Amino acid sequence: MKAFTALTAAELRLLSRDPASLFFMVAFPLMLLVLKRGDGGAVPGYLAMIATIGGMGALPGLLASYRERKVLKRLATTPISPVLLLGAQLVAQVAAGLAGSVLLVVVAIAVFGVRAPGDVLMLAAAFLLCSVMVCALGFMIAAVVRNTRGASLIGMLVMFPMIFLSGAAVPRKALPGSLRQIGDFLPLTPAVKALGDAWSGTAASFPLLILAGIIVVATAAGAALFRWE
Amino acid sequence: MEAIEVTDLRKAYGDTRAVDGVTFTVRAGETFGIVGHNGAGKTTTVECLIGLRRADAGTVRVLGEDPARRRRALAHRLGVQLQDSSLPERIKVGEALRMFGSFYRNAADWRRVMERWGLRPLARKAFGDLSGGQKQRLMLALALVGDPEVVVLDELTTGLDPIARRETWRLIGDLKTAGTTVVLVSHYFDEIEALCDRVAVFAHGRVEATGTTGELIARTGTASLEEAYLALEGADR
Repeated sequence: MKAFTALTAAELRLLSRDPASLFFMVAFPLMLLVLKRGDGGAVPGYLAMIATIGGMGALPGLLASYRERKVLKRLATTPISPVLLLGAQLVAQVAAGLAGSVLLVVVAIAVFGVRAPGDVLMLAAAFLLCSVMVCALGFMIAAVVRNTRGASLIGMLVMFPMIFLSGAAVPRKALPGSLRQIGDFLPLTPAVKALGDAWSGTAASFPLLILAGIIVVATAAGAALFRWE
Repeated sequence: MEAIEVTDLRKAYGDTRAVDGVTFTVRAGETFGIVGHNGAGKTTTVECLIGLRRADAGTVRVLGEDPARRRRALAHRLGVQLQDSSLPERIKVGEALRMFGSFYRNAADWRRVMERWGLRPLARKAFGDLSGGQKQRLMLALALVGDPEVVVLDELTTGLDPIARRETWRLIGDLKTAGTTVVLVSHYFDEIEALCDRVAVFAHGRVEATGTTGELIARTGTASLEEAYLALEGADR
């Protein structure tokens, strides 16, 4: 436990020193909110976007670089299991996403007078599942793509269409029918739906179950394919 | 007492027999050198010692345990410096030492290790901003922060300037005085001669000879460890 706490603290510190992560997980969503003149309907989608930027924009490249630069191998010679590092990485990404999200929600409510979320507990559950899911997808990418540049690139290539087609960055209503249909098959779509429903107070458990299912499948696939070196 | 016993170790990667029947023992408290050409099987042997690889055949015992089966338990008593491993770019020297210290059951005081290895002035410097020699020194300090009984150092002083090398030798000497068992893999014969009680000469996946520097020189009728090595390695071709 001591080792896990130390690892997580270190990973959080490293994230806070990464200007790109800070910008995209904290400043960028706030900018979008300002540009949208505080449109409350967009906020749940932005929460999904914040999580996705961490889990798929940053995580795959980070894990691949730890492998390529033999950081994982070095850890494997200590008494801790390198799996602990993956866990610490997950907790750090979720915590960073949560910090950015809380800030966004507070600004939306306090500055723009957005109506507070209807079901805070379900919103928290949806955010947690969404965060873990995108990290699981990011882990799967790092398992399949071996080098750092490739993993970063694939992470981005999957992330960008996904945040646009799932309704995270723009409302799905605004999309042409064919693109909306593609969105139906993306794992982030149920996450955006779950967050939106929780915010409006009409949360259903079905999207959460889908997210849980995706987490299990992506983690299993990632674990089967991941190479430590 | 033997700290390390390796008997007829074999490990192949595909068709390449990287380690092809290696046998040697390291006594407790001894500083033991491993020399050999590139591809002689040194690193693979080291990786079997520390439990990163499982041998195809043969037995490996470190402090009486099988590293392949008991890696994590053994890791508490083992310090390792790997060839060209690294840390996250933005982690600071002090943070890295404290974090690694938290992994071990009987860790040394990380501040004292930092002091001892002259890393204190660099405590707040990020890993990515260190020079090659400073990185190497940190990786060595990290190998010792768990207060290990056995230390395995692969390419100990590669990348260090002459002064830093001598300083590192002195610190390895201290380990020896403290009774720590040290396995040293090196390309530098002066280093092996200065530090090691005994040496194993690796060639083509086998141990060509084992002995003190004096024994190897006498056996080959040469004048230095380097010449003895060349004679032994050449005999195998």
